[in-house]
Amino acid sequence: MRRLSYERAYAAALRLLPDAFRERFADEMIDFAARRIDRARRRGPIAALIERVRLAGDLGTTICREWFAEWKQSDTDSPPTDNMDNFLQDVRFGVRSLARRPGFSIIAAVTIALGIGANTAIFSVVNAVLIRPLPYHDPDRLALIWGTQGKTGQQGVVYADYLDWRARSHSFAEFGAFRGQSVTLTGGESPERLIGDFVSSSFLRVIDLKVSQGRAFTDAETEVATKAPVAIVTYEAWQTRFGGDRNMLGKPLTLNGTTFTVVGITAPHPQVPLGAPDVMVPIGYYPNAHGLDRGVRGILVAARLKPGVSFDAAQRDLATIMKQLEQEYPATNASTGAEIISLREYLVGNVRESLLIILAAVAVVLLIACANVANLQLARGAARARELSVRAALGAGRRRLAQQLLTESVLLSLVGGILGIALALALRKGLATLIAPQLPIDEPDIRLDLPVMLFALGTSMVTGLLFGIAPAWKASRTDITEMLRSRIGGGVRHGITRSVLVVVQLAFSLVLLATAGLLTRSLQALQSVDPGFDGRNLLTAQFRLPATRYNSPEKITEMFERTTAELRSIPGVEAAALVRASPLSQNGESYPVLFEGEKPVKTGDAPMIQINSVTPGYFATMRIPIVSGRDLSATDRGDAPHVIVVNKSFAERTWPGQTAIGKRIQFGEEGLWTIVGVVGDTKHYTLNEPQLLQGYVAHAQRPQIFTSIVVRTKGNPTDYARAVREAVWRVDRDQPIWRFRSMEQDLSGVVQSKKTMMWLTGLFALVALVVAVVGVYGVLSYTVAQRTQEVGIRIALGADAGRVRRMVIGDGLRLVAVALVVGLVLSLGASRFLRNQLFGIAATDTLTFVAVTAVLGVVALLACYIPARRASRVDPLVALRMD
Amino acid sequence: MSPRDPATQLPLTPAVLHILLALTGGERHGYAIAAEVEETTSGSVRMGPGTLYGSIQRMLDAGLIEEVSRKRPREDDERRRYYRLTGFGQRVLELEVQRLDRVVRVAKRKHVLGDAGAV
Repeated sequence: MRRLSYERAYAAALRLLPDAFRERFADEMIDFAARRIDRARRRGPIAALIERVRLAGDLGTTICREWFAEWKQSDTDSPPTDNMDNFLQDVRFGVRSLARRPGFSIIAAVTIALGIGANTAIFSVVNAVLIRPLPYHDPDRLALIWGTQGKTGQQGVVYADYLDWRARSHSFAEFGAFRGQSVTLTGGESPERLIGDFVSSSFLRVIDLKVSQGRAFTDAETEVATKAPVAIVTYEAWQTRFGGDRNMLGKPLTLNGTTFTVVGITAPHPQVPLGAPDVMVPIGYYPNAHGLDRGVRGILVAARLKPGVSFDAAQRDLATIMKQLEQEYPATNASTGAEIISLREYLVGNVRESLLIILAAVAVVLLIACANVANLQLARGAARARELSVRAALGAGRRRLAQQLLTESVLLSLVGGILGIALALALRKGLATLIAPQLPIDEPDIRLDLPVMLFALGTSMVTGLLFGIAPAWKASRTDITEMLRSRIGGGVRHGITRSVLVVVQLAFSLVLLATAGLLTRSLQALQSVDPGFDGRNLLTAQFRLPATRYNSPEKITEMFERTTAELRSIPGVEAAALVRASPLSQNGESYPVLFEGEKPVKTGDAPMIQINSVTPGYFATMRIPIVSGRDLSATDRGDAPHVIVVNKSFAERTWPGQTAIGKRIQFGEEGLWTIVGVVGDTKHYTLNEPQLLQGYVAHAQRPQIFTSIVVRTKGNPTDYARAVREAVWRVDRDQPIWRFRSMEQDLSGVVQSKKTMMWLTGLFALVALVVAVVGVYGVLSYTVAQRTQEVGIRIALGADAGRVRRMVIGDGLRLVAVALVVGLVLSLGASRFLRNQLFGIAATDTLTFVAVTAVLGVVALLACYIPARRASRVDPLVALRMD
Repeated sequence: MSPRDPATQLPLTPAVLHILLALTGGERHGYAIAAEVEETTSGSVRMGPGTLYGSIQRMLDAGLIEEVSRKRPREDDERRRYYRLTGFGQRVLELEVQRLDRVVRVAKRKHVLGDAGAV
């Protein structure tokens, strides 16, 4: 075999020049280049290298320039005609031509329809989530404002700070305070849990809440000092919870033990950030003790910027005020700050990237489909060559011919596009159920509206141009006399274009395979994360005691003790406990931790510890191992010394090489807690979080009215929901319980969005692989058919079947090898965009890349084998008799 | 617009101008043209093969130069084609040089290069 030298590559690249130019100058150009390189070589290898790069650049620009000149030339060749007439004639001709070849037309249209349908479907989601304005009045001025503590962001806001922002800032039209929390509705047949929102009247103005009956709150009604017991019910709650009661306005509602009067009903589908509630009541009634004191991060804040004010300016404004407050209230406001985030960014920020990746993946599928149809067209083009030659001979200009073929392609793709829209309509429901739960917007309105339709039609047009351009170009380059003379004609020359198209298909398939592979491996890594507890046969549920009745620590403790005893007495329940925030429930609270005997550090710099109040038996129920020391026990009551159990990470990170037992720590505002035990680490919010530092204290020593039930059952945990509810009702008949979930549901829930993404990209990769492999098969079969005569002669001259097979496979192998190299480079480039989506593996994960390369290589070679076998069975007599 | 009006060819691209200049010394083949241009400009104008033959193609089309059909010297490579200026090419070159000369004179009057650098 000849070595691939620069000179040979240069000579090969000259083939890209227009024929006339190449025939005239190619030899001299090769000679010229060789002399230049020789001369440069004498000045050293670097000079030679620079010369080669220069020559390549020179050739590249020349190719572009000469083709451009050629095109301009051919344009002036054909006589000027009426463009509109031409166009209509092209369309008529295209329709007839497509109808004459129904087999080809149907296959091509279906391929395009699949591509466009998938793209349109995915784009409809992107449109609903990322493009369409949020369903609020003037949504671009809406923001959420979070508190910050040192480096920790996205904390709640202190009510007093919020009042100061309202008084001092000048960037905002309005601030609104709100805090969602479930409320207990009593007075009916059984206690009911409603989703409540404790709000300020200004909040209703920020979100521009519309009422269908009655009125919104007045300012005085929601101020803490002048609060009034009034309530607004959402339209949906009015319909479902209260049966659309005509006398709803003025009706009393007993919520958390206080009687409120309904003054308004919202319009249907009110949009409220972080989820629509059932009922809204004034923020002044926020039930958590001290929830509105200075220093307590009790509320959330939504705000509307003044027109024309940027988010940056608003952020600076807030920062200035927070600095002032830090000086005025050093005790409570040290190291605190505020951060503003646009509502859109908050809602869709974390899904934007995954959606765009899915859109990119599906676009690549369409690209592969285009390449495939282009190849089909080329195959047809070879057969149509004579038809085109005749038309050219009758005076059709090259450009005119190309235009006609392009019109035909665009017609074809528009048919595909319309079928694709139908497909997208059919896919819509399935896609909505698959993707919607992962989206941040309640019931996203995924529909095929005007922008989506325009997208589909636009994509169809572009698609038609994409797959039409190569065949049209080829056709316009057809040499009339040669074509008319030969009977098959044109085949060999098309070979190169077809090979390039196959390489494109294979290479992009590899990109999709690599993407799907990386996401699969990442999901595996995520699913194999040990959450630190045994999630099987575990039922969880939540309840909140009404603060009005459970108004002392003793009452809460007694209720919890009796409840756990009742839960344990349920037949089939192996263990049960209560915990303030069960894992994966998304509840939880963290505090800066201080160590006894150490200088207090600035609040923002202290490590954060996640504190959870549990009843004795929690670790046994969850099967969290006790590493050293003791469990919390029934004797750790309110009057006993305060004790805490910490997790392994906290113990090892704080006191490496020493025992943590006996050390004393402080968190929040409360006194010193003595460490009596160390338990295993658990995941709390999600599986890929960095390990939290955790502490567990006895419920009896830190009673809270909100708690979760964890019950380990024999058999299916959700079967026990009824029994658990009844066990709690034996203690308190008025207590609603909600969010019955098996821990396994929650565990699979946290990986669900990753799973969806994996399945979608996997599906796209599979489609791409099939299309690309069919492409390889097609090209090789075609070459084999073209070379039948040659193969026949070889066999007649004594070449054995194995040799012929190797020859054809060798052809395929070269294509596949080039495609794999190109594909790997592209994949490595593309994997950078995946980095944020991956967990536990690198974006350049060797195993994934080796595996997908192997898969594609093997499948592609199989596709080569069949034509190779056919070639080896050519009967020389038949082949030689062929014309 | 007569195709033989030399003024329509102006201004010339640097490559075309230098090729015309090189051919004032007689017939040349492509590589020799490039070599001469490189030499006379002390290496500041260096044409790649594509630029060279692309320009030659367009100059042939415009009738600035023509291919010479002559018996090639024996030792020379048979691939080579020789070119020479046409009368039309000669006129175009003269017009272009006059144009450049006017430009240079204006530049001198305005002391574009400064007094010290004036040529």
